[in-house]
Amino acid sequence: MYRLIELVVRFKEIVSLCALIVICFSLMSWTHTGQLGGFRAVIVGGIGWMQSAFAWIPNPVSMKSENAALRELNLQLSEERASIRQALIENATLRKMLEFKKQSPYQVISADIVGKTTTEVRNFVTINKGEADSIKEGMPVITDAGLIGTIIGTSSGFSIAQLLINRDSRIAAKILRSRIDGIVTWEGEQDLVMKNIPKSYDVKVGDEVVTSEYSNRYPNNIRIGWVSKTIDEPTSLFRRILVKPSANFSTLEQVYVAKVIPNPERLNLEREIEARLRERRRIR
Amino acid sequence: MAQYREKTLYESFPALRYVLYAITALLLSVMHVVFVRLISVQGIAPDLLLVLTAWIALAEGQFIALYAGFICGLLFDVVSADVLGTNALAKTMAGFTAGFFFRHVEIPKSLGGMRLLLAVGVSSFIHNLAYFFFYVRPTEMSFTGFFLQYGIATTLYTVVAALFPMLIYRSTRLVR
Repeated sequence: MYRLIELVVRFKEIVSLCALIVICFSLMSWTHTGQLGGFRAVIVGGIGWMQSAFAWIPNPVSMKSENAALRELNLQLSEERASIRQALIENATLRKMLEFKKQSPYQVISADIVGKTTTEVRNFVTINKGEADSIKEGMPVITDAGLIGTIIGTSSGFSIAQLLINRDSRIAAKILRSRIDGIVTWEGEQDLVMKNIPKSYDVKVGDEVVTSEYSNRYPNNIRIGWVSKTIDEPTSLFRRILVKPSANFSTLEQVYVAKVIPNPERLNLEREIEARLRERRRIR
Repeated sequence: MAQYREKTLYESFPALRYVLYAITALLLSVMHVVFVRLISVQGIAPDLLLVLTAWIALAEGQFIALYAGFICGLLFDVVSADVLGTNALAKTMAGFTAGFFFRHVEIPKSLGGMRLLLAVGVSSFIHNLAYFFFYVRPTEMSFTGFFLQYGIATTLYTVVAALFPMLIYRSTRLVR
């Protein structure tokens, strides 16, 4: 026993390293980002409060890219203005004709971004609305440009949203023109990726990509982006489709949280079936 | 007598040093969340808590650095909404690596010299290797691509950030 203690003391660095690594692995397997309950809500609230207190400080590094993006947007908007005027006149006439009732498919909550973490690979934003405004985990975050991400943490006054440009993003999507379905993910580049689309399928650069009705997390037909490139994978029947996000994540200031939460019954059924299939595969 | 006068309160009480490290870690983690966007370039930001871990490694040794790295990492996981344990593991390994640069008789020279930068560089490299390995593991992303894109750049930026405490320490030592 004495020798054992002596050995542990002698190699205390190695023993400590092993013990800490075991603790870290246990923590990693024990929890994911959404499983910290009340403690997490306190942290989200605290960080949100601090970020909102210092949100007035401009970011000198991102100013340049923000200005460029705004100038580009200005140009686009002035072009669109002329066509919108024409469209408004047409719209008014058509509405009368069809007795169109303006209906929003879901309620939205507007919020300001008070903090942004778009450094390295941790892409999150903190918004100034939380549980007190009926925001819940899992609600989609959108802007007029399209889908931004999902709420992953809330406190009473603040929420943290995970942006689309995040390793955990997996969105059931479709090409609007040709109705081709796929899963959109992020692989660390500027563009998103839609994979495993057969080469024979009709996909063109410029096609609009929207959320699919198969998605259990997002309402359908929210714009994700446009096809920017199609890459035929050699020695494979499939192609990779690069999707340029419609939203500019570096210039985000205001967002909307759609009051839509995944249907728990559907989620439970899907999880149950997935677990059964996994069990069957394990038995085989 | 002269030797006795040279000892500051900070040097005489190790517990006070640990309290200062803890306060610094808390301040740096808050700074990371609130202010690091102001100094990020193309999404790359220095890892200030890693600089602190390397500093503790050179000032206190490998054993303390291990635990400092673990606590700093855990703090970072909590404030950055990351998966709990990822940064803790990476920073524990970084603390262990930085501990190899500890020289008991040359602590001031290490903290105010190139040894600190070297310790930060090597430990940051190991940190990013571990972090990105676990980051891309559940996905189909390429580890090499990710590490080359973010890991190397973050390592270099962190070394640049370590220049400031090194120069400040060096100048204060020279003033004394």
